[in-house]
Amino acid sequence: MPPPLLEVRNLRVGFQTDEGLLTAVDGVDFALEAGKTLGVVGESGCGKSVTAMSLMRLLPQPAGRILSGEVLLEGRDLTKLPIEDMRKIRGNDIAMIFQEPMTALNPVQPVGMQIIEAIQLHEPTTPAKALRRAVELMEWVGIPAPEQRVNEYPHQLSGGMRQRVMIAMALSCHPKVLIADEPTTALDVTVQAQILDLLKRLQNETSMAVILITHDLGVIAETCDDVAVMYAGRIVERGPVFPIFAKPQHPYTQGLIRCLPKLDHPPKTTLPVIPGMVPSLRDMPPGCRFAARCPNPHSTDVLDTRQPWKECGSGHGVEACACFASQISAS
Amino acid sequence: MSLLSVQNLKMHFPVRGGVFYTTQAVCKAVDGVSFELKAGETLGLVGESGCGKSTVARSVVRLLKPTSGNVIFEGNDISTQPQSSLRTMRREMQMIFQDPAESLNPRHTIGQILEEPFIIQKMGTRAERAEWAVELLKRVGLPADAMHRYSFEFSGGQRQRIGIARAIALKPKLIVCDEPVSALDVSVQSQVLNLLLELQRDMGLSYLFIAHGLNVVKHMSDRVAVMYLGKIVELAPATELYQNPRHAYTKALLDAIPIADPTQRRARQLLRGDVPSPINPPAGCAFGHRMKHPKWEQSVGMDLTLKEITPGHFVQPCPCCT
Repeated sequence: MPPPLLEVRNLRVGFQTDEGLLTAVDGVDFALEAGKTLGVVGESGCGKSVTAMSLMRLLPQPAGRILSGEVLLEGRDLTKLPIEDMRKIRGNDIAMIFQEPMTALNPVQPVGMQIIEAIQLHEPTTPAKALRRAVELMEWVGIPAPEQRVNEYPHQLSGGMRQRVMIAMALSCHPKVLIADEPTTALDVTVQAQILDLLKRLQNETSMAVILITHDLGVIAETCDDVAVMYAGRIVERGPVFPIFAKPQHPYTQGLIRCLPKLDHPPKTTLPVIPGMVPSLRDMPPGCRFAARCPNPHSTDVLDTRQPWKECGSGHGVEACACFASQISAS
Repeated sequence: MSLLSVQNLKMHFPVRGGVFYTTQAVCKAVDGVSFELKAGETLGLVGESGCGKSTVARSVVRLLKPTSGNVIFEGNDISTQPQSSLRTMRREMQMIFQDPAESLNPRHTIGQILEEPFIIQKMGTRAERAEWAVELLKRVGLPADAMHRYSFEFSGGQRQRIGIARAIALKPKLIVCDEPVSALDVSVQSQVLNLLLELQRDMGLSYLFIAHGLNVVKHMSDRVAVMYLGKIVELAPATELYQNPRHAYTKALLDAIPIADPTQRRARQLLRGDVPSPINPPAGCAFGHRMKHPKWEQSVGMDLTLKEITPGHFVQPCPCCT
């Protein structure tokens, strides 16, 4: 089996604050193959965006830093690269799109200029050629009348069009990995469907790998090959999308899937809930972090030691807390 | 008799600009919306951003004075009442906002926030008000010691509970919920939705429930109205609307919902383009115009008032979309 395109091993990321070092990501592992989409799902504060930022080495400075672990892109450890080399990796090999394209785009520069800037940073070319390429890219991502749109400013475009511009910019240098951090959260459902469809089409054409970060299980179910469920800085369950949804093992994954209002639910009935809240980063237990909200009967011992990772077949694995480890069935 | 009756509500905003700051265009945010809401009922209002659903919400509680049309609440037309008489009316209708962080005063303790409705309405003594506030906190599932803390000390879900406590303080009959769970995480969202359902059962509340999450609206509502570019295009009982949508826009909206089940992946009929601007909207059926439907021209000049096709199921009778 060939090595994966991107492999993250035991990544730990911390932020230095007035209250000491807070570990936002605490030992995350996953691998990503070319042409595949990995969905990272979790609630706010679970560390999914911090994981993405540390892959790009874009953590807020000086507070944030990678404490340990490896990020291997085709065997090269990105965490140890000098910043100049990392700059060449960004855009060329890994590119990123963000939730709110209005804040990610420069409001006082035409969008075409911004795409041209991305192109010229990575490959020396004449301005005329770069402009032509920008127009092609905009056409490729489905922006109507690209010759006119290159000269327009972000505020003149709709939310969906802005996100398309972001995608055009990110794909301008044919990255191998695209990290999409909540790319459709700020968009309406019909536009979301357009953007997800676009990402899928572009992925088929370029065979890039995509890391899709979202809190929407619907988006995950419809677009991803693999899923990683994050909770309080750790991946609690990971695997191909079908077994995760058909046979979720971790009580958190089960709860997340169950508490969504579904279209075939009887209306106005009480929804299942996950009681309580995510524990604060300041007093994270070393062991199972979901214990306080876990519906399974469990002893407090699970809080003291990190629970083992257990594989349950075909790449589906779970942080097997003692409260349910005996019930894990092969998927 | 219905608790709330909205009749041909229009809310037009002037768009000013130019050297003399003259009115250059009119933004027809809400353009002829009518619906009824019975006591104890929930009417869901869905649509994409910019369709005017929040403007409807704000006009209903008279945070905005409508350009024309009537909002009749318990027999009184509140769209024309003088500002001075609104205070008594607002005892009966309250609002819950999308972002609880921005709708709670960061400089007030939760106790002050919850006592304020009583102070404004000149109700109770100081001791009574404090007692009521503690009861409200208990009612929404927060500890009594929250009284002396500030809103930033709470998580998003807890803040929304505080917003709900404030809204039910005066025991209103109607609560307008403007995207009450859009800013919350899934696991917290279901807690807040359950609380809203429970309060409705216990207090006989009516909700005007606005959200862009169609699953959430379906779960919360008895009837659902779909808005597009300032107009309601379809209104039907919730289950009927989701099982048997008649307007092309409703169908498109339902088709776009991502389903949290990978075995139900399907090819979509993608909508082209975006919601057009409510400034200078197209004549006739706006959605037919967006879809460039060949029959769109027939809808220009037509009377597009909602028609009842089956009992309780209303749809805009344009030839292009139905």
